[in-house]
Amino acid sequence: MSPSHARRAKPWNQRLAPYLFVLPNMLIFGLFVVYPAINNFNISLYDSRNGRDFTFVGGANYQELLSSEAFWSAARATAVFATCFVVLTTVLSVALALMLNRRIKGRAFFRTVFFLPVVLSPVVVGLIWGWIFDRGNGLLNTVLGRIGLGQPGWLVDGGLAMIVVIFVGLWMHIGFYILIILAGLQGIDPTYYEAARMDGATNWQQLRKITLPLLRPTTMVVIILSLIAGFQAFDYIWTLTGGGPIGATTLMVQYIYENAFESPIRYGLAAAASVVLFITVFALTLLNFLYGRRKEAT
Amino acid sequence: MSRRRWTSIGGSAVPSVGQVVTYAILIGLSIVVLAPVVWAVLSSFKTQSELAQRPPAPLPSSLATANYTEALGSFDFGLYLQNSVIVTVGATLLTVVVNTMCAYGLAKYNFRGRDVLFLIVLGTIMIPLQLIFIPVYQMAAQLGLVNSLWGLIIPPAATPTGVFLLRQYMLGIPDDLIEAARIDGAGEFRIFARIVVPLCGAALAVVTIFSVMWRWNDFLWPLIISQDQAKYTLPVALAQFNSQLSVPFNYILAMSVVSMLPVVVIFLILQRHIVRGIANTGFK
Repeated sequence: MSPSHARRAKPWNQRLAPYLFVLPNMLIFGLFVVYPAINNFNISLYDSRNGRDFTFVGGANYQELLSSEAFWSAARATAVFATCFVVLTTVLSVALALMLNRRIKGRAFFRTVFFLPVVLSPVVVGLIWGWIFDRGNGLLNTVLGRIGLGQPGWLVDGGLAMIVVIFVGLWMHIGFYILIILAGLQGIDPTYYEAARMDGATNWQQLRKITLPLLRPTTMVVIILSLIAGFQAFDYIWTLTGGGPIGATTLMVQYIYENAFESPIRYGLAAAASVVLFITVFALTLLNFLYGRRKEAT
Repeated sequence: MSRRRWTSIGGSAVPSVGQVVTYAILIGLSIVVLAPVVWAVLSSFKTQSELAQRPPAPLPSSLATANYTEALGSFDFGLYLQNSVIVTVGATLLTVVVNTMCAYGLAKYNFRGRDVLFLIVLGTIMIPLQLIFIPVYQMAAQLGLVNSLWGLIIPPAATPTGVFLLRQYMLGIPDDLIEAARIDGAGEFRIFARIVVPLCGAALAVVTIFSVMWRWNDFLWPLIISQDQAKYTLPVALAQFNSQLSVPFNYILAMSVVSMLPVVVIFLILQRHIVRGIANTGFK
């Protein structure tokens, strides 16, 4: 650390430079992230039926949300989707990463294949799977029909559509989380295993007593990132099911989008819903973080 | 490894049950991952009647490119492609430049307010656009960015993850190097551009690749900003056409393949860097 007088002695260009370096980013950042994040709450207190003339209504939008069946439907669907998405992502990414971390042939190939969907356009992913799951002409039902099984209405039945949406979400994202877990596995000191083997620990014991506990911080990262991803899912669902049948797969982001940009335009109501979503995501993330901290401390 | 116990006379290992199960799962899942993509690519060469055929033929009758040329001819497909390219290239350049500068300011200077700014960057990693797009849209509208490609380029450019990643990377660059350059009389910006940036190759590659991926595939924000059809990017055009029955599915497939192709090619070329980059940072 430099003594305090050295700071005063710095030439003017060295004192000015950092501000100029951070300025462009902070300008965009302030205008399009920080200010909007605060303003979101403000908008939620107003109502506007045409997107222009705003009237202050206080908490009326929130009250309306609580009594709106469409909001509760979207909230329920989001809760179901996010819960299944986070749980399955965590379990599957750990299981698959453990498999891919073993000395097996074609490891690089499998890693590449599993990561491939991560780079694809979610819109295209939704399109392709929508086409495969189509009831009448879909590839899947054609195959099922040929081998004498039924032809379920994958995207017509609400419960099935939700399962399809969760499956496609996992299909598209799992590779990314596998990679994070793999990075965590590689950070575990191999001497732990050597010592355990000398003590005669079985593979299962090594997994339970060494791998999983030491993997906890990485697993936390996966849980938090998948939680955020689960709550912001939209694009592939939009092209896969369009939110249907009858709103069964309309999640919060789509609900907010439709209220904000489709007639009748209800900015304030949509903003109130996004405040609720925002607080939920934030609270769950914080909870996860604190829980992870406590586990680490004990 | 338990397989040593199973060594046969020839010296090659007989696979254990666990290994067989592992391979079966990995191969099975690889098929689930690859099949839809391969199927879509193959089908993009099929004619409309071939697509409607039941049971579907596994391969198109010929590798005719008619779908591609017709889709290009009958829609402003070229325009959407062009919009996507302009937005992706423009936004990525802007992202890389402002993120790198900001990261440098935060990593290598000691100035009043630095810690507050860095905390703000960290805190907003958890605020994706999806949660606050209404006020962001309002801001864009006030600045006249709606229905303009600038509206797609500027607002998402300042990514907190990019700043965070680059800053972490720059902390590893020795301060002595910068001090030495100062003593040699190099200006502040010159030090940044000529010494620091060239040393950040790996981190810059990761930020670039992710920016290209995100911008090229982005849907919600372009959907909000591009209200005029002439400003559609490929994903928006695809989604809108898919909901119209008037657009034949073979064209949609051809457009889908074109919109997949660039990122997949970039991914296959740079996959080592992507995988290593993510593995090293552990963040997206």
